[in-house]
Amino acid sequence: MKLFLNLLKTPSFVFGVTLFLATLGVALVLPWFYDVDTVGRAGTPYLPPSAEHLLGTNHLGVDFVSLLITGLRASLYVGLLAGCIATLLGTFLGVYAGYKGGWIDDLINLVTNLFIVIPYFVVLILISASLEEGRSLQLIAVIIGLTTWPWTTRSVRAQAASLKSRDHIGLAKVNGCGTFQIVTLHILPYLLSYVFMVFIIQIAAGILVEASISMIGLGPYDSISLGVLMDDAMKNEALGDGIWWAFIPSTILITAVVFALYTLNTSMEGVFNPRLRK
Amino acid sequence: MLTNHPTLRYIGSRGIWYLATLIVAIAINFFLPRLGTANPVDVIMGKVASGLSTEAAKEKEEAYLKEFGLVETNNLGEIVRDSESHPIKASLLTQFGSYLWMTLQGDLGTSFLNYPKKVSTIVAEAVPWTLALQFPTIVLGWIIGNLIGALAAYKRGVVDGLFFPLSLLSCSIPFFAFGMLLVYQFAIIWEFFPATGGYANDVMQGFTWEFISSVAYHYTLPFLSIFPVLAGGMAIGMRSMAIYELGTDYIKYSQWLGIKESRIVLYVFRNAMLPQLTGLALSLGMMIGGALITELIFSYPGLGTAMLKAIEGNDYPMIQGCTLLIAITVLIANFTVDVLIGILDPRVKAGQAL
Amino acid sequence: MTKASAKMKNPAKFLFVGALLGCLVSCGGKSGTSGSAGQQERTTFPRAETLYLAGFQWGAPNTFNPLIDQPAWPIYGPPFNLMYEPLVLYNTLSGKMDPLLASVHEQTADHISVIMNPAARWSDNKPLTAADVTFTFEIGKRFKSAPVSYVWDFVSKITVEKVADPAGGGGKELEKVTFHVNKEKENNQLALLNILKSFQILPSHVLEARLKALDGNFSELQKDSMDKDPVVSGPYNLHAYSPEKIILERRDAYWGNKALYGGRMPQPKYIIHPIYKSNDHFSIALQKGDLDVNSNFIPRIWLKFKSGVGTWFKDPPYFEPGSIPMFTINTTRYPLSDRNYRRAMAHAINYTNVKELAVSGYSPDLNPGLILPFGNEAAYFSAEDAAKYGAGHDLDRAKQVLADAGYTSIFKDGKLDHMENAKGEKVPTMRIRSPAGWSDWESIVKIAVKDLRAAGIDVREGFCDEGLYWQTLPTGNFDLMLQTPEASLSPALPWSRFKAVMASRNWKPEGEKMNENQGRYNSPKGADYNPRVDELIQIIPNLANEEAKKAAYRELNVIFMKDQPALPVVYRPEEFYDFSTKHWTNFATKDNPYAPPQLPCFGAGRNMLWEIKPVQ
Repeated sequence: MKLFLNLLKTPSFVFGVTLFLATLGVALVLPWFYDVDTVGRAGTPYLPPSAEHLLGTNHLGVDFVSLLITGLRASLYVGLLAGCIATLLGTFLGVYAGYKGGWIDDLINLVTNLFIVIPYFVVLILISASLEEGRSLQLIAVIIGLTTWPWTTRSVRAQAASLKSRDHIGLAKVNGCGTFQIVTLHILPYLLSYVFMVFIIQIAAGILVEASISMIGLGPYDSISLGVLMDDAMKNEALGDGIWWAFIPSTILITAVVFALYTLNTSMEGVFNPRLRK
Repeated sequence: MLTNHPTLRYIGSRGIWYLATLIVAIAINFFLPRLGTANPVDVIMGKVASGLSTEAAKEKEEAYLKEFGLVETNNLGEIVRDSESHPIKASLLTQFGSYLWMTLQGDLGTSFLNYPKKVSTIVAEAVPWTLALQFPTIVLGWIIGNLIGALAAYKRGVVDGLFFPLSLLSCSIPFFAFGMLLVYQFAIIWEFFPATGGYANDVMQGFTWEFISSVAYHYTLPFLSIFPVLAGGMAIGMRSMAIYELGTDYIKYSQWLGIKESRIVLYVFRNAMLPQLTGLALSLGMMIGGALITELIFSYPGLGTAMLKAIEGNDYPMIQGCTLLIAITVLIANFTVDVLIGILDPRVKAGQAL
Repeated sequence: MTKASAKMKNPAKFLFVGALLGCLVSCGGKSGTSGSAGQQERTTFPRAETLYLAGFQWGAPNTFNPLIDQPAWPIYGPPFNLMYEPLVLYNTLSGKMDPLLASVHEQTADHISVIMNPAARWSDNKPLTAADVTFTFEIGKRFKSAPVSYVWDFVSKITVEKVADPAGGGGKELEKVTFHVNKEKENNQLALLNILKSFQILPSHVLEARLKALDGNFSELQKDSMDKDPVVSGPYNLHAYSPEKIILERRDAYWGNKALYGGRMPQPKYIIHPIYKSNDHFSIALQKGDLDVNSNFIPRIWLKFKSGVGTWFKDPPYFEPGSIPMFTINTTRYPLSDRNYRRAMAHAINYTNVKELAVSGYSPDLNPGLILPFGNEAAYFSAEDAAKYGAGHDLDRAKQVLADAGYTSIFKDGKLDHMENAKGEKVPTMRIRSPAGWSDWESIVKIAVKDLRAAGIDVREGFCDEGLYWQTLPTGNFDLMLQTPEASLSPALPWSRFKAVMASRNWKPEGEKMNENQGRYNSPKGADYNPRVDELIQIIPNLANEEAKKAAYRELNVIFMKDQPALPVVYRPEEFYDFSTKHWTNFATKDNPYAPPQLPCFGAGRNMLWEIKPVQ
């Protein structure tokens, strides 16, 4: 509780939270007040911004504000889902490897390295080819989660390894606690704040990875995400024709979300680790 | 003997585990693309079959299957068929065996999609560009980022107040979006820099002034699109590490002892650097895959696009060649860092587990 | 001051020169270069003498060997004629075969004969004769894996005889080569004409010697990249190449300069095909004048006119239409097997939206049927039939057709939820397959799906990776699929388009591969098999009487419109053709039609090379 009050006193934390809530508002609350239509033809292709269409239209004549709202929602969804998967899986394996050490640690490290060695788009293309529905937004989120957990594992493992020589762990062992019990009751609670910070970073990573996947042309078939919007802009030659509203607003939105999350992360680091504060 | 040398033992054990990782990775990269129903010849046939009769198309398809070693053949080199005269697919294990044997001899095989070009030729043409763009950018980004981070941590105050949010912002912008903005502003609106390519189209590759200056001129925008993201990320990491180190007891003790300021900074820097080295290794390992989007945005030469096409077209030898290369770079980069840590980190010397 | 030296003044160049360049410089030596020894190696190409052309090469060049299926530009593709040349040039403006290595002499239902041009020479100054022609085609007989091998389904034999010059020519004897129609197999002289314009004639004296040196191992010969001083007959030869570009250099001693072009040489000394990785880079390069002539799809071309870009027509549709992208329908799957369902789809799609939004208006209004109402096919088009039998855009009609056939569409919140048939069963959702990332095609599918759903037809987008797309096309493992059958112009059109969409002579069930009629229309084993379709496809190529031909085409087109086995959506040019006048002028246009709207590396489009002028 005291920590939380400390957080609220940190200006950068307040800024991060406000910015993040603002983007959430655009994605979730704005649709109540704005007629979101991502299918209908609102005007001719690439209409410049006007009173009627605040950010113009895209290459199919669809209203860009609608597209950005829908895209932001999809990107946040991917970030959250991928972040959850990567954090849960990564934390569990990291804590286990760090606590156990020895050959189990080495084996988990091998698997971790494997996921870093095999490019995610190999996995993505191969899996989506075998599914009737093709690449859905959900599938992309799951695959991002399943390929980004090694980063969590690496950092959590180091933390867990440093915890395991502490006295209370030894005490628990002497009292006959099993590995599972020690990990969940005696190690994880100490790492919670750290894991939460990792989770925030993983959300940001999920959003960025989704955007780059879409830029390669491997984006979701069934949804509009911010990455898909940027890919559309590039493919339909918005750059060459100077149609800035096709790519600058989506760039700003992605940057704002990621910046908010990074700010949150670093401000929390400052509070949880008092030495960083000053 | 090794037991007496904790550092050597540590390095040796890491080496063995990395070798094991490489072997598993090679096997996965071989079997994964072949698990699906997709067939590399289908993509080729889609492009060459127009105008052929169904019968002629079938003959052509079988000729390809045979040439690529995807069907069983007998001693006379004829395709072995089942009772309905469909060709029998070559077994995966046989293919894996011959792949391993060829790889050990340094032969990466012939690309299906770029037939009859050798995979090694394609890789040799493209990889220098990827390395030339990524390697200096990553190393420079790492050095500058660490310097900024260390400076911000040490000085705090205004320097920190300026550089920290800037670093945070620069690593929040997706680098490809930043690249697009650069192209839009500097290549299309102002026309200061070329929008595409690794060098001008009217120049031949060679050791000439025209070529070298043209490469440098075309290098600017791609470099600028990756550099700030990298440097920003590194600066943030370095900053929190360094602040942490600055607050540790041994630094306070050194200050109390009156050790020179510059010497203390050096200690701090060295200790904060160790985790940063891992970051460097990972960035270097991700070079080839990471270059893909830069290639697409700037039409920059490199291996990324060739690899993407290979995966989409089930060009097995090309996929295997690229993934092998990636696996080796990632693992070598990691191993090098482990060796460095083994040498630099006192805990390893003391025989402690990390 | 040349462009290169002007650039050197830019200080930005000095920013990043470093050791890293070493590896690029060293890999430069690996790219193939040709050119005789002792000749000084060129490192830059003067802009005023170089034509930049793009649209045919997408990745690093693989080989320049004409004996395999897909070598690099300018060997493989629409019959290119800059290095190796075909016997004749197809002129898409006149629909005639222009003479090149030979001229068409006689054309009957049994055979086509050509007279060789006695002036034709190889670059090693050996004459190009009928022996080279027979060698080129006989390769297909000797080696099954040669691209030319399928020719023998259409040709039974090739004979050579000496004849007196038909033009007089002072009693000189010329070679006449006769291609005899293969009556037992394809029996199709239209396709034979296509073969004459498609296959490049190869130097028998060079290749025969190479083959002998390899002990007749053709597979080894196919692996030779043939990039070192190849012996060619065309006006250009390979100068150098790398993964970034292919460079051709003019052959000043080209035989055709004197024999065909009044002693003039082509204007560009070099032709460079740059290789870009993303579509929008062609557009940027064209606007900047870094590219002179291009065949890639560029949206909103009219915005580029102010930067000196030009097209065939000054006004919409800007390009000459030549093919029909269409949704191929799997007619064996329910509900697509129901003709009413297919007709309802045809009524539902707003073709004007498709044209304007997906292809930037580069298409005239769509007419029902498989015959283009303009160009060389117009003679067979009947506006009366199209109005009577065709299904044009009409939303109310679409709903009416569905209702009459017993379908009910259930909408929820204004959006289509599902469909039910007369028995009250749910009708399955159909998907339109199209390669992800082909931006104009993606748009076509999205617009069509929107219209279809608004009409109450349960269809969805089914984007997939290119690999899967090509894999499922021949096996029929799809509901609907966007494709362009017969994309390149040929004298066999529109017959070859009908064959590609409707022929069921080689009908195979779903799962087995079919190289035509992938929608499995008109199964010979089906209850409602219509033998007339195959009959018409069989007889049209050999109909000599134009009236009879027109009647047969009309009948076939009416069957297509009534049955709707595919959904044409828009027209597309054979190849896009746009150019920049910043460095070269006098490109052919509708107002200056001295050459057809083709890039100057294939067909009669090559004539532009002799006519364009550098900007001083």
